[in-house]
Amino acid sequence: MDLLLQTLINGILAAGIYALVASGLALAVGVVGIVNFAHGEFSMIGAFVSYLLFVGAGIDPLISLGLAALVLFVVGAITYYGLIRPVLAAPELNQMLLTFGISVALQNIALLLFGADTRVVSTSYQGATITLGGISFGAPPFAAFVLSVGLLGALYWFLGKTRLGFAVRAVAQNRLAPGLLGIETQQIYLLAFGLSAALAGIAGVMLSVMLYASPTVGFAYTLKAFAIIVMAGLGNLRGVVPAAITLALAEAFVSTYVPGGGGWVEAVFFLVIFVALTWRSWRLS
Amino acid sequence: MKKVLVVLLAVLGLAGLALAQTTVRVGVLLPISTVAGKAALNGVQLGVDQVNAGGKVKIELVVVDDGNAPAAAVPALTKLMTVDRVDIVIGGLASGVTFALSGPVKQYNPLFLCIGAASSVVEQAFSDYGRFFHYHPWDYHNVAAALSFFKSLYDGGARRVAILYEDGPFGSAGIQTYRQQLQNQGYTVQAEPFKSGSGSFTAILTRLKSFRPDILYWIGYDVDALPIAAQTRQVGLEPKLIYGAPPAWPLGFEKNNLSNDVAGMTAWLPSVANNESRRFVTLYRRKYNEITDEYMAPMGYVIALSLGKAVEAANSADKDRIAAELAKVQMDTPFGPLSFKPSDTGKTRFQGFNQSIWLQFQYLEGSRRPVFPANRAARPLRYPGNY
Amino acid sequence: MILAGVLLLLALVLPGLPLGEWRAFLLDTAQFAFLISGLALAWDLLARTGQLSLAHGAFFGLGAYAAALSAPALGTVPALLVGGAVATLSSLLLGLATLRLQGMYFAIATLAFSEVMRTLVLKAQFTGGSIGLPVQPAFGGAYPLGGYYLAVAVLVICTLASLLLSKSRLHFAMAATRQGEAVARVLGVPVVRVKLVTFMISAFLAGLTGGVYAMKTLFLSPYDAFGLGRAVEALVIPIFGGLYTTTGPLLGGLIIVSLETWLRLRIGEGYLVVYGLVLVLTILFLPKGLMSLFARRKGARHA
Repeated sequence: MDLLLQTLINGILAAGIYALVASGLALAVGVVGIVNFAHGEFSMIGAFVSYLLFVGAGIDPLISLGLAALVLFVVGAITYYGLIRPVLAAPELNQMLLTFGISVALQNIALLLFGADTRVVSTSYQGATITLGGISFGAPPFAAFVLSVGLLGALYWFLGKTRLGFAVRAVAQNRLAPGLLGIETQQIYLLAFGLSAALAGIAGVMLSVMLYASPTVGFAYTLKAFAIIVMAGLGNLRGVVPAAITLALAEAFVSTYVPGGGGWVEAVFFLVIFVALTWRSWRLS
Repeated sequence: MKKVLVVLLAVLGLAGLALAQTTVRVGVLLPISTVAGKAALNGVQLGVDQVNAGGKVKIELVVVDDGNAPAAAVPALTKLMTVDRVDIVIGGLASGVTFALSGPVKQYNPLFLCIGAASSVVEQAFSDYGRFFHYHPWDYHNVAAALSFFKSLYDGGARRVAILYEDGPFGSAGIQTYRQQLQNQGYTVQAEPFKSGSGSFTAILTRLKSFRPDILYWIGYDVDALPIAAQTRQVGLEPKLIYGAPPAWPLGFEKNNLSNDVAGMTAWLPSVANNESRRFVTLYRRKYNEITDEYMAPMGYVIALSLGKAVEAANSADKDRIAAELAKVQMDTPFGPLSFKPSDTGKTRFQGFNQSIWLQFQYLEGSRRPVFPANRAARPLRYPGNY
Repeated sequence: MILAGVLLLLALVLPGLPLGEWRAFLLDTAQFAFLISGLALAWDLLARTGQLSLAHGAFFGLGAYAAALSAPALGTVPALLVGGAVATLSSLLLGLATLRLQGMYFAIATLAFSEVMRTLVLKAQFTGGSIGLPVQPAFGGAYPLGGYYLAVAVLVICTLASLLLSKSRLHFAMAATRQGEAVARVLGVPVVRVKLVTFMISAFLAGLTGGVYAMKTLFLSPYDAFGLGRAVEALVIPIFGGLYTTTGPLLGGLIIVSLETWLRLRIGEGYLVVYGLVLVLTILFLPKGLMSLFARRKGARHA
């Protein structure tokens, strides 16, 4: 029983970071309509902001969270304005190649600046543990989960209850009509893309605490984030959390209950997605 | 007349100098955008500086990136051989890439000084190639070194080993051997694969909880070090020792509290107290203004120095005469004495180092200290460790 | 099209040209470039039906492993065909399952297929698992240029397939399917059959290139053969060169591989920064890829 509970908790906590990375991506894909391959590199920048502030100024990553979000919002806005905006009307494939190019360039600039080394920060709370009965789990993943849920809640509230959020949703649903309604589509895009990058930055700071900072830290999560938003349904922000939890639970159960299951985690993750996608496509028609 | 004589003497003197100096062009084929590859290159360049400063031998390097991939490495080697026309190549860090190079190497016949590539698959591939000098120990040496450490742990009361291994070639290659040998020593073993870099170990560690391991032995990469150390505590696994075997450790890991008591294996540490090691550290710091923990740096340095010695003894740029002298080289290195012998399996003729270069260390109070074997230990092993 | 012919002719006679000391290096690089271009051509075929595949790395890997495993028993050419056949069969099954998926949904489903296939090969015993699989050279190494001409042959096959398909009636069916399946159906296009047939042809070609690749590198590992990087390369090249054309992927592949090789030799560390910037600039200034350079000039001539 304890094992089952522990596995459930492991899976749900792992879903926190997944959901955070994926929500940012979902904003870019759902609102701006850009498949952003450079999303993971935004996370990587966030991880390095955290690392550099820690090493250079002794600033705790908890404080870097806000700063990284701000930095990445600006980076995202500049990227949007300078590079994405000119290709908004271009075919999807062109946009993909563009963001792929940005991703390659950013990753390798980081490689030039910092080398390929894996770097870690050290805080007092990285190994902190919460124990409840026979169950125990890490405080940082738990905090990351709570923070993710909080941020996503705020995002849903923003989209659902505020005027600006309404405008964002309007733009996401129809690219022509909002202009007629007097909504500045360009500014909404700028905002959405900036927010998307800021979420990636926050996820990056969390990665620097729980994993490490390196030029390739963003990659592993981007691929999974893509899979998650597709499973949720493109543009369906609310579907992101359930999809992330489903997949993270599948991973946790395979690792814990199947002998040698750790080697099958990736396969199971993608098998679940494959089945979900194809099953849905056949059921719908 | 006198003038003429002076000029003549001067010319003769210069000619003599020129005659005494042997120049060789050496190709370097390394994955220079990886941590280990960069360290190796730094080491090679440092060694070459020193050889050239001696004045008798001049080594010119032609450096090419092997891209850490066969599709990039094979053309890169071809270019070294046909365009740059080198006769000697230093390279072969990753096993997979080195295996892919075995065909082209046999086609062009260079003197191949292999810096890494521990896999026995590579040993097999080069078994009929006479100009293959392998400096790094083979994987069975690595196994032997780790096992003698485990033997001592068994004597200290450890009985159950959980192995976490990454499911790529690095982690999986020796896993059956390890499992078998540990069982032969009397251990109960449970081995689980994982995907390196995923950062999530809680589920696998939870699985291992019912096994109650004394030793958590993980074989992966630097990216896995911190997550494993943190999550082992977080799921309450409480092993008596975490023992890691990555090719490199993360930068700054020693300053992290979670690294305390974590043990591992390396061929070299900057704190190793022999003359050659101290000299290497001084020279490295002078040239690069920092010191590295990567043992590939002194490995590259040793290769360059040994090559310099061989060229000097051969007094020729001919690769076979150099090879003949290299086979006779005996020198002290940061790793200990180096000389070439046939490999233990008898498959290759020139094997440099063996299991004796490996040492076990433990992160203690913010730095790595040798703890095993006893004759090289700076501190006793802290066992059980506190995780 | 003339350009494509010139490029292929050049590929054929390259070993005979007086290339001096660079000969061996050029031939090696060219061989990899031909294979990658062939893969890109195969990917582009499928893209013409509007399907964005990330499974081409897997077809390449399946072809490579199947050819490598069957070559000792069957000989080089039959083994390559087996590689193509295995890839084709897997594409048929994958195609049937994903028939109704479009756009990103199809892309992620094919990505999922790739990842699952890679894990299977990694876990299987007969493939050498994670340690990897040594491969015999083409024709047992009897002909020094055997591997090179196999690569040329594969490139020619891919180019011909691409050309013939763009001249055939299937071409219009593919274009119609891409522009809107519902409309295509109304026009009487058998959309399902068109998509499946194209998928299979495309996978067959990808499998072929994989087999030749295996016989060149002489060593396969799941992470290399099924790498996502290769699937991405198969998609980057046609977009860079010019989508839905024959010359585009062909020219794009040769240029991208040459560029990458040249940058690696010239710049060394961090050369991929330049590579990334080139991609970005291409999209910003040549939205239709390299082919728009030619199109524009042609337009000017007509005017």
